[in-house]
Amino acid sequence: MDSSIIRQLRKIVGNESVLDRPEELMLYEYDGGVDKSRPGAVVFPANAQHVSQIMRLASQNKIPVVPRGAGTGLSGGAIARKEAIMLAMARMNKILEIDIPNQRAVVQPGVVNLEVSNATAKYGYYYAPDPSSQKACTIGGNVSENSGGPHTLALGVTVNHVTGLEVVLPDGRIVEFGGKAQDSTGLDMTGFFVGSEGTMGVVTAITVKLTKLPEHVTTLLGIYNSVEDAANTVVAITQSGITPAALEMLDSWMLRCVEENVHAGYPVDAAAVLLIELEGIREAVEEQAEAVAAVCMQQKAREVRRARDEKQRQLLWLGRKTAFGAVGRVSPSYYTQDGVIPRTKVPATLAEIQRISEKYGLIIGNVFHAGDGNLHPLILFDPRDPKQMKASHDASTEIMEYCIKVGGSITGEHGVGSEKKHFMPALFSEDDLQVMITLRNAYNPDSILNPQKVIPDLRFCREITGGLPKAKVEPVEGLPV
Amino acid sequence: MSTVAAAESVHRELASIVGEQNVEQGNEQFAINGVVPGSVVTPASAEEVAAVLALANSKELVVAPAGGLTKQNIGGVPERVDILLRTTKLSGIEHYDPGDLTISIHAGTPFAQPLAQMAEHNQWLPYDAPNLRTATVGGCLATGSAGPLKHTAGGLRDFCIGVHFVTAEGRIAKGGGMVVKNVAGYDLMKLLAGSYGTIGVITRANFKVSPRPRQTRTFSCEFSSLDEALAFRTKILQSPLTPICLEVISPGAPEYLSDPQPPKDPDHYAPSQPVAKAAGPWQIVLRAAGSDNVLARYSKELGSAVTRALDGAAEAQFWAWVSDFEYSVLRRHRNAMVMYTHLPIQGVGPAFKAIEKAASDYSFIPAALGRAATGNLVVAFMPLSVDPPSAMQYANCASAFRGMLPAGSSAEVAHCPKEAKLHFDLWGTTPHDIAMMRALKKAIDPKNILNRGRFIV
Repeated sequence: MDSSIIRQLRKIVGNESVLDRPEELMLYEYDGGVDKSRPGAVVFPANAQHVSQIMRLASQNKIPVVPRGAGTGLSGGAIARKEAIMLAMARMNKILEIDIPNQRAVVQPGVVNLEVSNATAKYGYYYAPDPSSQKACTIGGNVSENSGGPHTLALGVTVNHVTGLEVVLPDGRIVEFGGKAQDSTGLDMTGFFVGSEGTMGVVTAITVKLTKLPEHVTTLLGIYNSVEDAANTVVAITQSGITPAALEMLDSWMLRCVEENVHAGYPVDAAAVLLIELEGIREAVEEQAEAVAAVCMQQKAREVRRARDEKQRQLLWLGRKTAFGAVGRVSPSYYTQDGVIPRTKVPATLAEIQRISEKYGLIIGNVFHAGDGNLHPLILFDPRDPKQMKASHDASTEIMEYCIKVGGSITGEHGVGSEKKHFMPALFSEDDLQVMITLRNAYNPDSILNPQKVIPDLRFCREITGGLPKAKVEPVEGLPV
Repeated sequence: MSTVAAAESVHRELASIVGEQNVEQGNEQFAINGVVPGSVVTPASAEEVAAVLALANSKELVVAPAGGLTKQNIGGVPERVDILLRTTKLSGIEHYDPGDLTISIHAGTPFAQPLAQMAEHNQWLPYDAPNLRTATVGGCLATGSAGPLKHTAGGLRDFCIGVHFVTAEGRIAKGGGMVVKNVAGYDLMKLLAGSYGTIGVITRANFKVSPRPRQTRTFSCEFSSLDEALAFRTKILQSPLTPICLEVISPGAPEYLSDPQPPKDPDHYAPSQPVAKAAGPWQIVLRAAGSDNVLARYSKELGSAVTRALDGAAEAQFWAWVSDFEYSVLRRHRNAMVMYTHLPIQGVGPAFKAIEKAASDYSFIPAALGRAATGNLVVAFMPLSVDPPSAMQYANCASAFRGMLPAGSSAEVAHCPKEAKLHFDLWGTTPHDIAMMRALKKAIDPKNILNRGRFIV
């Protein structure tokens, strides 16, 4: 990167807060996904003014900027190109305010998701969206990707829990949307910005809703000899009038993998398990637990276990939340998908994934949010083997195409990023994408901020997004760039 | 070309798109705050909507989308309306799969219709805005209209999973999809919800459906002061209870929670008993869902605070009245001013005090109710019969009221006499940066043909 730019960046944020040596930059060339690319410089702003000055500098010099939280994202959203400035939000990690009477907290983007819940638990509140990476991922990243998690089934995803934002626009303006009120007069700018994957502005402060901790929580484990029975149970539970707080499924391969890792007491010989969590007032939870157990048995569950105490409950969840990590023990690399399908299509889709797994000779484990049809097939492969690289890519494409075919979506909570944007035309027409580009260009006309993300480079829109050097994402053989 | 000739030529062109029988001359029935539209056109498909808009855009004709005509008078007095675009023919349920918990409904469908179909499967959208028998899906989404269920379920924006619309330039577009969780592309549902038809004409919307509670009960609790009522609300918020509705009702409001009465003198405040009554109680009303056991727990926790419990038909009737509050007010007082507030939870108390103060300072009778924990209040100011208000009185009352609200609040005037509307800013200031909203509007509707002069952008 141009040394005068580096000098100016150092002037803005201080000497130690700019990294530009290759060995330092290496740490920022990847996120939780599989794509890699090294940025030109990494800058650590400490406040919105820093971000504003950096954005102004970048705008004037037409340098792309990519914001980054904890780098746990799975869609390449935090991957920057060689000539880009990476805006790492790690220093902006303060909880600015906890306002219990208004059930809100105001946090900086670098605050770790779980820290909000930890800081508010003593008042009897928590922050509801709980991505599996919640011990590491940041609220700023959650806002950008509109992250979900197991407990979003009943309570909604990030956008349902954010009421206000402070945003720095690509031209350096600092603007505010919303606040502590649930909503406000005029267009819902907060709602529109959440999930825009950092392509319209850099979020520098977030007002989140705090949710009261439930009086009672219980977790059931439904054990099945067939995936289909487990999937049917998901629909039957809703038909019984119950919306569980979380409803997760693990398939047989995943079960064994997780069990070896954390010894949560999962049955290793089952075809699938459902992890069902119920919460609310004690009377409701007890009744629902009985009703759900009965539904499971009606749907041919082999057995229904209920966590006897909090320790057992936490252990069951530990298995689920560390599932991706467990896979890391048995495979050098894996490709996580995030397709969504209508709930009734779960059995057919799992069968299709099984077929694809056999076709390519790759293990595909399934651990996913069954309640809302959000699949997470994990495709295991060895990145040192070019054949497996290609096969994993092809298998992933086939799964995505199937999700789209049955009326689903390519991403439920991980975001489109750079990894899935080439699927966007299968989901959206040129006009749909053009409208999105038009709206983005209202704020980010030169595509300085997070270029090459979310919306693919369609031939017709190049002129509009133009003005920038062409993308030079370093190609990783066999993977989409 | 003369104006008449131009109007005739527009009429001809519209007829060539939608057929002669689907274009008519505007009349009083379709007037928006007294402004009669030039033509009324009823397209039968998204493609026809697109063609109408492309035509309007090329000629810079102002278009006002219209659904069930229940909320047309909300917002500013348009300078002119060239084309009223009715969605009536975009009607019906496109797809509903109870197993998938999703429904896709064409914009012109009255909301009660899909709700009835969902009820057959013991499902619902937790949605209880006013006038759902006539108000359409597109209109409700466009206006962000809501009712007491907003307390737990949020607004339509929180369970709208996909939206089909046509832009001012005639582009047929969509956001989201038909699955309950989806982050592919920008969240256009949020942008269109509550945009009052200024961003695009909604042609179809998809929603996430939920299981309908099998049993509910409503507990009404009375208090002699606002402070006591809100202290009780705070107690509930801190308790383990999770009611599906939590309303606060001011002493003046129950007057309007009843079946409509024929107005005696629609211009003036005319309660059934015009003599000043002793101030009634403040009420906190909860609606709980669950089994007998769960409801028994509510009774136990609420204890002696409960003055009345409602079940079944009486309960349904009560909540219908609460939803319909502002229209009940307007049926009886044509000159009433109705405002919607957006407040932090702790702003509800100051807001009620502001209502009382602004009303008494500017000679209005206040009545208000709303969501005690989301800060969405519906506030009615009724003019005194002895003192017909001037336009400035509405303006001053609204601005005095806004001025007393805590930081981060906003309040718009939804209804007031059109003569008064010309004299002040109905939408007020917002915590959102207005320039940001206008930038979006300008990008998507550069000629400002959609609902010009009616909304904040």
